[in-house]
Amino acid sequence: MPDSTLTVPANSAHLRAPVRRLFARHSYAAVPFVITVGLFVVNLVVQPAFVYLSNLGSSMAVLFPILLTGMALTLPVLSGNGGIDLSVGPLAGFVTVFVSAILMPAGIRAPELVIPIVIVFGLLSGAVNGVLIGYVRLPPIIATLGMYLFWEGLGTQVQPEAGGQVPGWLIGINGSYGPVPGLLIVVAIVVVVWSLIARTAYLRNLLAIGGDERAAFSAGINVAAVRVMTYALTGALACLAGLMLAGLIQSGDGTVGPPYTISAITAVALGGISLAGGRGGMLGGALGGMALFLIQELLTAGHVSVYAVSVADGIILIIALALNGTLEFLRRRRSVRLGPQQPMVLVQPEELGGFNVETS
Amino acid sequence: MATVNRLDPAQSELQPPSEQAREQLLIVEGVARSFGETKALVAADLAVATGEIHALIGENGSGKSTLIKILSGVIPPASGNLLWSGRAAKFSNPRDVQADGIATVFQETLVVPELSVRDNVYIGTDGLFRYGRRKRDEVTGASAAIRALGIDQLDLDRPAWTLSLAERQLVTIARAIVRPWRLLILDEGTSALDASQRDRVFDYLRSKRTEGKSVLFTSHRMDEVFDLADRITVLRMGRTVSSYPVGDASQHQVLVDMSGRESVEDLEAAAEHASDAGAGEGGLAHGAVLRVEDLVLRHGASPISLELRRGEILGVAGLEGQGQVEFVECLCALRRATSGRVLSIDNEGHGAAIHSYADANRHGIRYVPRDRRHEGMFAPLSVFDNFAMALWSKLNVFGVLKRNEAKRRYREYSDASHLVAGSKGRSVSTLSGGNQQKILLGRWVAMNPRTLVLNDPLRGVDVRTREDLYQYFRSLASNGIAIVFLSTEIIELLRLTERIAVFHEGHLHALLESKKATDTNVVAAMFGRDPEHHADA
Repeated sequence: MPDSTLTVPANSAHLRAPVRRLFARHSYAAVPFVITVGLFVVNLVVQPAFVYLSNLGSSMAVLFPILLTGMALTLPVLSGNGGIDLSVGPLAGFVTVFVSAILMPAGIRAPELVIPIVIVFGLLSGAVNGVLIGYVRLPPIIATLGMYLFWEGLGTQVQPEAGGQVPGWLIGINGSYGPVPGLLIVVAIVVVVWSLIARTAYLRNLLAIGGDERAAFSAGINVAAVRVMTYALTGALACLAGLMLAGLIQSGDGTVGPPYTISAITAVALGGISLAGGRGGMLGGALGGMALFLIQELLTAGHVSVYAVSVADGIILIIALALNGTLEFLRRRRSVRLGPQQPMVLVQPEELGGFNVETS
Repeated sequence: MATVNRLDPAQSELQPPSEQAREQLLIVEGVARSFGETKALVAADLAVATGEIHALIGENGSGKSTLIKILSGVIPPASGNLLWSGRAAKFSNPRDVQADGIATVFQETLVVPELSVRDNVYIGTDGLFRYGRRKRDEVTGASAAIRALGIDQLDLDRPAWTLSLAERQLVTIARAIVRPWRLLILDEGTSALDASQRDRVFDYLRSKRTEGKSVLFTSHRMDEVFDLADRITVLRMGRTVSSYPVGDASQHQVLVDMSGRESVEDLEAAAEHASDAGAGEGGLAHGAVLRVEDLVLRHGASPISLELRRGEILGVAGLEGQGQVEFVECLCALRRATSGRVLSIDNEGHGAAIHSYADANRHGIRYVPRDRRHEGMFAPLSVFDNFAMALWSKLNVFGVLKRNEAKRRYREYSDASHLVAGSKGRSVSTLSGGNQQKILLGRWVAMNPRTLVLNDPLRGVDVRTREDLYQYFRSLASNGIAIVFLSTEIIELLRLTERIAVFHEGHLHALLESKKATDTNVVAAMFGRDPEHHADA
């Protein structure tokens, strides 16, 4: 056997090529991908105007807060152990107030100031969640429910209804800079930043604590620190969603955020991300957010009332979760039936008679 | 009082002269740790020398795993001293411990299912964002480690959930050995491997010994211990009872030390009680109530066939994870066996296969679970409600509960079992473990069972209550109820049962007559030895 070369056994041919490996890694996103593409096509058929360039800007402006809060929620869900961040919606909502009622009056309106301040604000507020969960060991659903109420209350206290002003460039993002739509730039930045983070050890740490916390801890991962970082990144993404939201509503409004928590949870479920943690990725949250947006577009085009849209959202959430569970069950059962998890023991051929008794 | 304790805890730092030449890498002195009421470790002493392979052995619950978790930084000790290469060490978390040079392979195969083999080997070596080493180095390091352990081919990109149990265990060993270790701890770390793979791992460990590295391992296989170890330390009930170079100890001596038979008188007393147990069941028709036919607990394990008779108490024993729990769970269909079946035999001798837990209950097979807090008690409810919980399905008239009849049965039971519950309305969680167990037991006894399957029923029960319950079990048996009694305490099994089924590696390794067996026989069988070879003279 030659040394220092990676040997590949014949029985894993399905994972051999790098491209296939890439697919294997994102296999969880196959179903959400198909759903999203399908919904896109249906939208095209029902309302061809949907993709007109003139509509694209406003569509994307509506899409973005859903997309970004969905991506934000992906990280804590991946971190396992009941990981969730209910505060993403109200935090995004509070950012609209933060920009219009605090930064603007203070004369801070330039993008090179506003963006870093909001991102740092997001990291810090997310880190508060992370400390409560990672070190104080509160259950995530309770800790972040507390933060949900905190941001919602603070936002409505400062600005109980739409008001104030937001910087012009923020509204302009929905337009375009020359030939390039502003939102496309935001997409590019988010994609680049996330793929940089995903190339670091952080993603491996995250998937490890989400997949099996005891294994991760005993292997030497600082589980609490990974948790804090996870919730901090979630806060930053939620605040970025808040900036987009401010551009969309062109004002500050403390009441605008909470629904985005619900849409984010739906997006994560639609994105094929295991709510048990450890399986999935950012692509799932993004696809889920897009699918949810496309569904809402479709319902709006059909002149369905807002309340009926909410009914539809509920049904979609339940179907998405059930589908996730079913797919996971099938995947696991396939692996059990193949039998690799049984101990490797030397078995006489005649003893193999009862091999599949369980499934017969 | 002739004891076999050879290592007085107070003198633990005094090593025999021949040992002093060797540098002690790790010294453990008087380490203790409790979990709630349970004292897992009372006073553990251990000294591992540089370049030594050291076996840490003991029965279930002797504290081995607790000590290993402390040495790995997973849990902190409550008291005691830990010296690592001559200096006091904190062992505060796994990360620091690994940085000091201790790498551990845990009993549970701790892999992250969704991560690849390579990721599973190297998790924990990174910073929060910064990788510990380049990908290329990880690939070569992981494949070298896996090859050193005797697997020629393992795709490093396969997710761990697609691996066999043995492959997963090798991944966890690889995880340990890619770290810069000076002491490698294996807690049952080779239990899932087959013989040839195990040998390759042992060869690797021996080759590392010549490099001056040390190994601490636990094993349930006695031949493995004597084959591999330079030195053996025996733990019993949380204390170090003896420690000797492997050449100074006979297997028999080790088994005696582990089984905790402290004096000849103890043994005689145990034998006497064992014959008491046999005496209670005279005069009953010995028809079968339960028949096990060709039951295979795991793939590759040999089939088990046996019959349980009316009024018999059958002991079930084995070291942790050897199949005995699966066996009792199969008896009441809580678990499906790989193949084979369990038949309930009625008074006319007709057999009916048990397919589900509901079937088992219908045929009067009642199960008392091991984890009474989570699987048995309804913690907020009263003593009486817990007792009567199952009874209501019988004692009702169109849904109206016959409370007086239930109360009558409760009084009857609490007298018979010496239940001390104070008022029957008090919350069951305020009772002692022993009385809680009595309530759980009573729930099924009140249902007139034919067979009681008891999974370690006396764990955490104090001595006096134990005596009560022994008496009560015997009286149940003399009324014709068959009892399957799983216990980790050998003396208890010898005293109470007629036969003891000893499990090893998923097989029924031995079926011993309690009257003739000694605790050493049972321990020998638990470790996969031939019990007859260890019969006392």
